[in-house]
Amino acid sequence: MSTDTDGSAPRPAGYYHLARAVLYREFLLFVRYPANAIGGVVISLFFFGVLFYGGRMLAGQALTDSIEGIIVGYFLWTLAVGAYSSISNDIGSEVQWGTLERHVMTPFGFAPVALLKGAAKVVRTFLISSVILAVMLLLTGTTLQLHVLTIVVIASLSILSVLGLGFAAGGITVLYKRIGSWLNLLQFGFVVLISAPVLEMPWLKLLPLAHGSALLQRAMVDGVRLWEFQPTELALLVGVAVGYLGLGYAVFQLSTQRARRLGVLGDY
Amino acid sequence: MTEQGGVGGEHTGSSDQPAASGLSVDRSVDAAAERRRGSDGDPDARTAAGGTAIAVEGVTKRFNEGPDSVLAVDDVGFEVETGSIVGLLGPNGAGKTTLIKSVLGMVIPDEGTVRIRGIDVGDRSRAAYANVDAMLEGARNDYWRLTVRENLRYFATVSGVDPDSVADRHDRLLDRLDLAEWADTPVRKLSRGMKQKVSLASVLAGGAEVVFLDEPTLGLDVESSRTLQRELRRLAEEEGLTVLISSHDMDVIEAVCDRVLVMSEGRIVADDAVDELLRGAAGGTVVVESPDLDADAVAAVRERFPVTAVDTLDWGTRLTVEASGDDLYDLMDVLATAGVTPERIRTVEPDLEDVFVGLTREGGR
Repeated sequence: MSTDTDGSAPRPAGYYHLARAVLYREFLLFVRYPANAIGGVVISLFFFGVLFYGGRMLAGQALTDSIEGIIVGYFLWTLAVGAYSSISNDIGSEVQWGTLERHVMTPFGFAPVALLKGAAKVVRTFLISSVILAVMLLLTGTTLQLHVLTIVVIASLSILSVLGLGFAAGGITVLYKRIGSWLNLLQFGFVVLISAPVLEMPWLKLLPLAHGSALLQRAMVDGVRLWEFQPTELALLVGVAVGYLGLGYAVFQLSTQRARRLGVLGDY
Repeated sequence: MTEQGGVGGEHTGSSDQPAASGLSVDRSVDAAAERRRGSDGDPDARTAAGGTAIAVEGVTKRFNEGPDSVLAVDDVGFEVETGSIVGLLGPNGAGKTTLIKSVLGMVIPDEGTVRIRGIDVGDRSRAAYANVDAMLEGARNDYWRLTVRENLRYFATVSGVDPDSVADRHDRLLDRLDLAEWADTPVRKLSRGMKQKVSLASVLAGGAEVVFLDEPTLGLDVESSRTLQRELRRLAEEEGLTVLISSHDMDVIEAVCDRVLVMSEGRIVADDAVDELLRGAAGGTVVVESPDLDADAVAAVRERFPVTAVDTLDWGTRLTVEASGDDLYDLMDVLATAGVTPERIRTVEPDLEDVFVGLTREGGR
């Protein structure tokens, strides 16, 4: 369509424009409504405080000895919860607002939009979790190996699998609206996955988070660099990430498909 | 149906239409009837660009299984020409929303096909919906925590248009809808009617060529509603925008629509131009007021014509008689013979609402 005032025709938007729009929106919400982010940081730190000081009272020296592992695990947990709940809640809200359909009808297809949204959530979650990590380290006087590249790659791949679960949960919420709040409880299950004994039971590595958690421990506690890991271990990490993300997206697609058949998509 | 209308979205790029906007701004909504008459024999650019924007064939949708199943849409078929505005009317529960959602792919019909600009939405939904946008009743449709302009830019991008290239269009849209002053205000801070306008603006912002509007004037004041109607007409006439609009507000439908579909109990019971519907409606009525209308005079009229109401006034009687066309002469003769001097006479033409009520009542039987 042309505009008659300027005479210039609209240009099609590319993936670059799409990425910019989706990330910019996330950025605006982040800076304009800092209370959400700050609230997340405060709550996470409060739980950590309870865990740390309460645990020290109960377990004493034993806990202090393993504090590094606990901090790394907690850091990964805040990342996982952030990625999972932000994407599943986001889908829930978008359905309610009637904005989801507009993303489904886009010429880009929904998948790139969803992935970009996921990426935006991951970036946002990293920012928040870094603050939490820094405070935890200061609070406990612990030092960790902070090789940023290694941490970002391993942690991102670890939480991609959780992002997949978030998509699945979001899709199921579209179908069964009341289930949404129950699915939020799943985040506490992440604790189990993060502390899964993958050395004793290697098959646990196939679950989300478990393998990534083990690698992240070695990276941050023992100082193993990204390129020092076995290629097979990295490959498994990538495989698990892609697998759960794909699975989660498929569940989301099937759920919305079913919602369209039942006519419950866009019931406000 | 011409298939070529469905391919290539650029045919509506109407550089052959010189800045006609100045004209259309002044065009009042009252000119709607005149325009409708004129558009029939007027091969303007949009009919030339033409083709079928929306083609619905045999769409049926049943919700739930077994005894409590509901047939929401029953074998519905219609076509909407590119650049036209078609109204969808029907009482609550007639199946309008299910029909719109079926066309939009938000509900998958049990049977039937939907083609948008020639592209089957079942086969190639991404291509079919590339130039479609919708505003559904009750949906916010935009992000309340972003500003008005941010919403327009965001949704333009999502619908595949570089927002910088349509910045002028956005400015004009905001200007026309009296939102310019609020362009940089977060939507959540605006009043309900303003939010409604932002929602509309964001639907029109992306350069969609087919839009679905469900109750677009709900909550708008008269002035905003008129502005919106003008803007829709302008977009349809100048840019070939195709609109399917559902509303309970008959005035809006009468003012903006080229054609009206009336639904009742899941079926389309009428599909015609507004004028045709009005013309085809049951004949008009005549209201006569006179002090001379005594019992004998009323009885005389009753003998020849169906009398629908007799009201007693302070100074006489008001008689409502079903009569139109040549019957009017006869009525006047009867009145003259009975010695009645008509103090006031007026004829009442059925409006769209009467037609609508008549149609949906018939459909309900």
